Amino acid sequence: MKDQPTPKTVTANASYQTAVNSAIVAAVFALLVSGLLVRNYLQITVFDPVRAEKLEILKLKVADEPKNEELLANIRETDLQIRQDRLRRLDFSRKGTWLLLGCVVVFLISAKYAANCRKKLPSPLPAGDSSKKQVHEAKLTRWSVTASLVLLGCVALFLAVRSRVDFSSTGPMVDSYPSKEDIHKNWPYFRGAGGLGISAFTNISSSWNGKTLEGIVWKTPVPLEGKNSPIVWGNRVFVSGADEKKRQVYCFDASSGELLWSGDVPNRAPPGTGPLESEDDTGLAAPTMVTDGERIYAIFATGDIGCFDFEGKQIWAKNPGVPDSTYGYASSLAMYRNLVIIQYDQGAAEDNKSRLIALDGFTGRSMWETKRPVPNSWTSPIVAETEKGYQIITCADPWVIAYDPNNGAELWRVDCLGTDVAPSPIYAGGLVFAIEPYTELIAIRPDGTGDVTKSHIAWVAEDGIPDICSPVSNGKLIWLLTTDGTLTCYATEDGKKLYEQDLEQSFQASPSLVGDRLYMLSEKGVMFIAQAGTEYKELARCELGEICYASSAFTDGRIYIRGDKNLYCIGKSN
Amino acid sequence: MMNRLSYILILGICLLITCSQLQAAERFPPPEFENHVLPETTVPAPHQDIYEYIDVAVLFAALCLASYLVLKKRNRRYIFALMIFSLIYFGFWRKGCVCSIGALQNVALSLFDSNYAIPIGVLLFFLLPLIFTLFFGRMFCAAVCPLGAIQDVFLLKPIPVPRWLENALRLFAYVYLAVAILFAITGSAFIICRYDPFISLFRLSGSLNMLVLGGCVLLIGVFIGRPYCRFICPYGVILRQLSRVSRQQVTITPDDCIKCRLCEDACPFGAITRPTHQWPQTDYSMNKKRLAFFIVLLPVLVLLCGWAGNALSGSASRVHVTVRLAERIYAEDAGDVKDTTDASLAFRATGKPVKELYSEADVIREKFALDGCLLGAFLGLVIGIKLIGSTIQWHREDYQADRAGCVACGRCFQYCPREHDRLKKLNEHSK
Repeated sequence: MKDQPTPKTVTANASYQTAVNSAIVAAVFALLVSGLLVRNYLQITVFDPVRAEKLEILKLKVADEPKNEELLANIRETDLQIRQDRLRRLDFSRKGTWLLLGCVVVFLISAKYAANCRKKLPSPLPAGDSSKKQVHEAKLTRWSVTASLVLLGCVALFLAVRSRVDFSSTGPMVDSYPSKEDIHKNWPYFRGAGGLGISAFTNISSSWNGKTLEGIVWKTPVPLEGKNSPIVWGNRVFVSGADEKKRQVYCFDASSGELLWSGDVPNRAPPGTGPLESEDDTGLAAPTMVTDGERIYAIFATGDIGCFDFEGKQIWAKNPGVPDSTYGYASSLAMYRNLVIIQYDQGAAEDNKSRLIALDGFTGRSMWETKRPVPNSWTSPIVAETEKGYQIITCADPWVIAYDPNNGAELWRVDCLGTDVAPSPIYAGGLVFAIEPYTELIAIRPDGTGDVTKSHIAWVAEDGIPDICSPVSNGKLIWLLTTDGTLTCYATEDGKKLYEQDLEQSFQASPSLVGDRLYMLSEKGVMFIAQAGTEYKELARCELGEICYASSAFTDGRIYIRGDKNLYCIGKSN
Repeated sequence: MMNRLSYILILGICLLITCSQLQAAERFPPPEFENHVLPETTVPAPHQDIYEYIDVAVLFAALCLASYLVLKKRNRRYIFALMIFSLIYFGFWRKGCVCSIGALQNVALSLFDSNYAIPIGVLLFFLLPLIFTLFFGRMFCAAVCPLGAIQDVFLLKPIPVPRWLENALRLFAYVYLAVAILFAITGSAFIICRYDPFISLFRLSGSLNMLVLGGCVLLIGVFIGRPYCRFICPYGVILRQLSRVSRQQVTITPDDCIKCRLCEDACPFGAITRPTHQWPQTDYSMNKKRLAFFIVLLPVLVLLCGWAGNALSGSASRVHVTVRLAERIYAEDAGDVKDTTDASLAFRATGKPVKELYSEADVIREKFALDGCLLGAFLGLVIGIKLIGSTIQWHREDYQADRAGCVACGRCFQYCPREHDRLKKLNEHSK
């Protein structure tokens, strides 16, 4: 016969059962809430980004259909929905966490209470001689410690054998951008190092003839038209060309003129953008490319930018939006260290569309962008090494603005330009020279901050001002070349006009300086070689026999000239 | 039967209510707010210094109270109540920061970097538990540390860990201590804080990885008493050693031990040492040879581990942001990787010469090499001493709380019949 439970036992049993049931309920609740929290977490981390991506695609379509009200409403609604969902999920997470905490607390209290109700009383077995056990335990301890030592040793060995980079014996280039020497030795930008149009070599030919090919190393046709100038790095010469269907980059062997490869820059314009009509005077490939010695970068009037390695492999491509330019986009690229600098002036000033963009050459990612209060312009930016450090100098109506190339911050600005600005600035003799077409040459001291219009203009000249060609200077003298062929020389120190010479031909290519000689290439393809002194003295004239718009590139013993149809290498054969 | 049915019914109703509420929130979003006004940007209020001093005052008071409850009152319930208070205050209220365990890194950095000024509150958080340990044993672990408290709360069905395994696992706390100090003094990272498994639980938010890690440690803690404190806690390593020489210590019995053996399995942390017997003569002789061998081995282990620490410096230094960046830039320039990272892009945008970055990285590596060597040697010393300790026959006649391992939780008090006598006499006296 079973013993009748006492009232105390019944109460204890009921308490125990209550505690166990509470613990079970709390545990199930906790699991349920945990599951819902995980689901909520997945919504936030996995599904919501997909929706956000779809929204971005919708936003991109606005560029094609800016007046599509239905699309705009759809975007607004989706955006609102995403935000609301996000906030709701965060609120859900917060409340769920507190609920989970509450469940866990209830579970712990119940479980501990239940465990306390059924606590086992200690019931030690009779004690014996434990010496053997102690010896065994000591032995196991020794082995376990030794095993731990071995385990730690294995982990250490695994970590130690991982290769360690030895910075002191760097095989690759230590700096991720070319040195000053390399930049001067080659011709990596529009008008070479600093955009100054100065050759680092003086062993440049002063005699050739395009008809007889005398003095011409090679002549190779360029597949597509382009008014951009050649750039050179090592044994490679690059130009670009485009028509309404294609945008291409060409790489030529500097020794033989052989076209090594051509690379297509893909159309990355926003969807729905129609083909851009080519302006006769500018074309679709007016901007000159840049190179950092490992990659080349090209931009076209469509806004398409492409990066290729020296083997012709496309690294990246992008389009910051089709530029709104009256005569077609023509600003050449510039480079500062690994940054590709784009002067993206467009529209009217009040459109607020112009900006200066710095892209990382490695990836094409935007490193910084700075809005510019200017309308469309056709000048190219230069990177000047001033006494105050590197500055990006830009010209457009009405401002000459200098920027910090590291972050795009504006350094100083001068209100001195007007109309459609095309000649690019130069930095020489400690001064920045900017040109207001047909009107003024302005010399500016680049050491100010803010608006320095009233304080930093060193001098202004008004004679022989060009509208397309950029100036060239040896630091003491500066030469201006107008489209109709007037060459004017000023002293950089005080702006005193030294001479003026009518060359009686029209020019679009900017003049260059080779030692103490000026090289000026006319539209008819005649190179005027003159003494770079205080008086005009013509030294030679060399005819190419082909129309030329692009500025020439100068390297060791060579001139590279892009004609209307062909690319020429002038100098002595290897 | 009715009782069980009623619980099932309650559970079912609760589930239905919860599910419908939670699902409703998902299915029916609140109405769109057309006239939403963007809230003004708010800036977090500056850190209030007063909290730093309040925290220190609470820490001091909690340590005093814990010492009183453990050594004088000898009452597990009161100790548990204080532990819950510490868990709520230092854990959930103060979000687990500042804590004495993490403060170890601040102190280490301040000793090696003259440019780093340690806040007085952080210094006191590091020192106070050590001072109390020197006088009263591990009172901080008993009822003040929120990390210990949360594990203690989750301990439901303790499974004893064999002593030999415990000895081996405890080594990892030394390794963690050495690595944490190495990264702290080289200015690389405060890994104790970064990988605190409970911080995301205290803050009720955090990365999924850390939440899962915290959940796993607590799940293990349901069966293994305080796994973090025993096998990982780097501060615990220091407290253990100080507790060995503490002036006062927790005792299982308030009087003389009568060797009733009732407390034998009372401690879920394996911190009760049993009386020992004389080892058999053969083992004793053998052990003397072993002892000599391990004493000779000790300097070899120190040198070997020191060398290993030095060899690991290359990998370890990658934790430092400068070394990592330098290696990344190197890999990008060498063409080993084709993409870039935000860090490498940001570095290139600064225009800082790469050579300068490389030389900075080399200086940090040298520091790692020296410090790694010293800390490796320290680990070798610990392992050597542990091996030597395993060959020594310790003499004990009573059941005692292990001076180093006892976290003064007070569980063992109620197992001792002499304690019951004491309480009985105390009650009679009070009546």
